[in-house]
Amino acid sequence: MNISRQLVLLCVSVLVASAAWAHHSFAMFDLEKMVTVEGTVKEFQWTNPHCWLQVMVPDGKGGTQEWSFEMGAMGMLARTGWKSTTLKPNDKVTVIMNPLKSGAPSGRLLKVTLPDGRVMGPGGNAPPPPPAG
Amino acid sequence: MRLRASVCLLHGFAAMFLATVALAAEPDLAPGIPNIWGVWLGTNGADVDARYRSTPWPAPDFTEWGAAQSKLLMTPETPDECSPYGPVVYMGGGGFFPLEIARTWKGIVLLSEPASNPRRIFTDGRKHPEDLDPTWGGHSIGRWEGDTLVVDTIGANGRGRPLNGYLSGAVSSRVDTTPRLLVSDQLHLVERIRLVGGGQFLEDELTITDPKTYKHPFTVKHYWQRRPDLELLEYFCSDNRRPDAEGHTESAQ
Repeated sequence: MNISRQLVLLCVSVLVASAAWAHHSFAMFDLEKMVTVEGTVKEFQWTNPHCWLQVMVPDGKGGTQEWSFEMGAMGMLARTGWKSTTLKPNDKVTVIMNPLKSGAPSGRLLKVTLPDGRVMGPGGNAPPPPPAG
Repeated sequence: MRLRASVCLLHGFAAMFLATVALAAEPDLAPGIPNIWGVWLGTNGADVDARYRSTPWPAPDFTEWGAAQSKLLMTPETPDECSPYGPVVYMGGGGFFPLEIARTWKGIVLLSEPASNPRRIFTDGRKHPEDLDPTWGGHSIGRWEGDTLVVDTIGANGRGRPLNGYLSGAVSSRVDTTPRLLVSDQLHLVERIRLVGGGQFLEDELTITDPKTYKHPFTVKHYWQRRPDLELLEYFCSDNRRPDAEGHTESAQ
């Protein structure tokens, strides 16, 4: 089973507080679980009210399963370093997420490791203003 | 030839007269008006001077109707998440999305990135219409009292997001049990907007009177930081409504 549920961590209240999203509650996610999933990008949807990352993940049976990861709004990503081209189809990624309680192959993205090693978040508050002068 | 020159001269005087009248009818262009123009970002969640942090929403003092409506907003039968903003939510002061304040012919326009509707504040001396039809944003008129823009708003349809429902989720949440602070079509909002912190912060003191929803008026202060480095982006909320179909809202479970 390559859907590697390596990290099942409790007490993620800090993450809950810091990653408040713009559009709906977290009630559908299992906020007490952080699951790591590795796969290949199928599509990065640069959209509102949320951006979505579609990843093909090995299912352990020789095939793949499509996972959906919800992120913040487009502007929230854009102001935290994302571009619409940050991820492309066939990019290898590692996603850490809160899975849906329902067990469906989907979750709330917390972090994603890009092919170049950068670790990006799901979008959030705009960064502080640049220093004066 | 002389006649043609005279006509041209008359046209010139007419143009100058009309321009003078136009400036006179545009009070926000008058000298001395504070520079509130440009892009601002709410200080909620930002590491700023404590003097410029928004005051929290008070404990609700609901009427019976208000309490019932607030409870309703915490169930799955919630308004459309992509509904436009009401006038109070517009001024919520959150740090996710910038707010832009611009001058127009008849007053001021506020643009909030995630709001589909601009918020207009007429500063041309008009009054609220007597036969006002309800709208999402209501009808706002403003006047300058020294360095403070005083804005009076009525006529909102009361169907916008709850005041604190934006960050905490306009839909039901088992995580966040904060009572939803809605406003009704009886809202009377008075705002006092002014520059503070050497012009680097904007203060909006909002007094909410809504006898249909709350037993008593209440006042909060929201703050924004001047952010010329930011730009408002496009936000078309119904572009990708996947959560409704895939269990990413509680109502869909």
